Amino acid sequence: MTAIITDEDFQKFREFFYRKTGIQFETSKRYFVDKRLLERMEATDNKLFRNYFTMLRFQASGEELQTLTNLMTVNETYFFREEYQFKCLVESILPELTAKRRSDKPLRIWVIPSSSGEEAYSIAIYLLERWADINRFDVEIMASDIDTRILDSARAGLYGDRAVSHLPEAYRRKYFRRSAAGYQLIDDIRQSVEFSRVNLSDRADTRPFRHVDVVFCRNLLIYFDDVSRKAAAETFFDALNPGGFICLGHSESMSRISSLYRVRKFPEAIVYQKPTE
Amino acid sequence: MALIKTPPATHETARHAPEAEQASRRDCAHLLQQLNDPNPETRRWAARDLVDCVGVSAALVQHLTRETESSVREVILTTLVRLGDSRAVAGLVDCMRSEDASVRNEAIEALKQLPTEVAPIMRQLLSDEDSDMRIFAVNVLESLRHPLVESWLAEVIQRDAHVNVCATAVDLLGEVGSREVLEPLLRLKDRFAREPYIQFAADLAIKRIIEG
Amino acid sequence: MKRILIIDDAATVRMFHRGILEAAGYQVDEAVNGVEALEKALLTPFDLYIVDVNMPKLDGYGFLRELRNQNLPQVPAIMVSTEATADDRRRAYAAGANLYLVKPTRPEQLVAPIALLLGEVSP
Repeated sequence: MTAIITDEDFQKFREFFYRKTGIQFETSKRYFVDKRLLERMEATDNKLFRNYFTMLRFQASGEELQTLTNLMTVNETYFFREEYQFKCLVESILPELTAKRRSDKPLRIWVIPSSSGEEAYSIAIYLLERWADINRFDVEIMASDIDTRILDSARAGLYGDRAVSHLPEAYRRKYFRRSAAGYQLIDDIRQSVEFSRVNLSDRADTRPFRHVDVVFCRNLLIYFDDVSRKAAAETFFDALNPGGFICLGHSESMSRISSLYRVRKFPEAIVYQKPTE
Repeated sequence: MALIKTPPATHETARHAPEAEQASRRDCAHLLQQLNDPNPETRRWAARDLVDCVGVSAALVQHLTRETESSVREVILTTLVRLGDSRAVAGLVDCMRSEDASVRNEAIEALKQLPTEVAPIMRQLLSDEDSDMRIFAVNVLESLRHPLVESWLAEVIQRDAHVNVCATAVDLLGEVGSREVLEPLLRLKDRFAREPYIQFAADLAIKRIIEG
Repeated sequence: MKRILIIDDAATVRMFHRGILEAAGYQVDEAVNGVEALEKALLTPFDLYIVDVNMPKLDGYGFLRELRNQNLPQVPAIMVSTEATADDRRRAYAAGANLYLVKPTRPEQLVAPIALLLGEVSP
């Protein structure tokens, strides 16, 4: 007998998952979700969804929920994806932030979701290669994700051909060691990013992130519903310094989310700024 | 100067954060007091953490009407939506009557997120004396997933004397209406025969309903 | 071709205005609230705005205020609202609106005044 997930099961699971992670699934993602639930039911030896769901809800360690969350979050990215935003960072955002800043104050950049690290490492490389003032200021790059497995992958810094395909050849040679296993990011860059596990919907997780100058939150909020999206915008508001910036994905806009930020247009991109005091 | 690293938990700033204690240890009474703190950031964190408390909706609504910082108001609203109890809803409905346009608009947006909680009082709202309240009530219906939405809207276009209340209702009927409302739409067109916008909106709704 | 931005959270209202304005020979774009309107205005210049007062996130007044704060070109703005009091009218003009119309609008309230505001016709 093959296990089945009824419509009611799906609804209950959707609500529970949303409450826990802020991530919501459209009914069109039914197949996607069912497949993964069935996979986990088999792995945990639960023939009935009801039993699996109980375990999911009440397991003290939260391990199964984490495993399931990792499976549910889709991560596709590559180095220098949406490069115009990195350009915006070094040519417009950082110059503005550093114009009146003392050089002993570090700049803090938060990338969430980190996914497998391409975005955060891209920023590191971009800063070293393209930001004139990298030698005058300390920059701290923090990268977070809800998916612990992807974080491990990010820390390891090993990538396939596709991930590095958009990099100039010179950067590939300079920042990676080629092997049979793939492209290994050099230690200097690997160690320049602090990775952490964060559920953006969890206040306890996000609380320690303060005095951030730039947030990169690209293509994550699209998976959230209206309330969670708004809450996320408010969380970032408190994570940011006054005058700090937030960059969303190219198809995303603050217009459906929040009016707390000022719209700023730079030559390279439209970004959003927390008002200065 | 270069790329550096410091784990978040050891940050100087994190240690001095106003909410350094565990959320569970933050006393609800203390949090309510913090809603009066002169620092807006403190107020925001208090408003955020109050989501774990019970019986605080009335206090939050009170603060909402007095709060001058929009960033704090936004967090209070998010918490009220998450609490979603009847006090929260009643309070938000009161905000719809505010003189302050941004408080009104924010309350409407919040109520749109609370369809089941708002449904029991929707009828009342749709027959409010104030035509603006009736317009706002129809606005709230916009994202309401409730089986009665269509019949409420049909009633509005049949009974409401105010053109803008009807206009707002017709807008929505284009999306949620079924053949049941074709008659009422035609009669609305007669009632406001000389109003181009009503003709346009009603025709659009009729077209959409017929084409399915 | 002159470009007009219609800013209103109601899709039907945007469609209604679009029909009238396109028939009058203008190029039309739409935004659902003040924030989206700012994003569009920052990307490409418009010649005139038709902006609703009551919108979520950033309302008509907020939009006009931000236009000034952002040093965007001060082009004519027609404010539209369901409110019909003299106070509302005064407030709109004080906020920088060139014209204040009460909903529901009619084509004749828009076409000639817009032509005038855009300098296409002499008064």
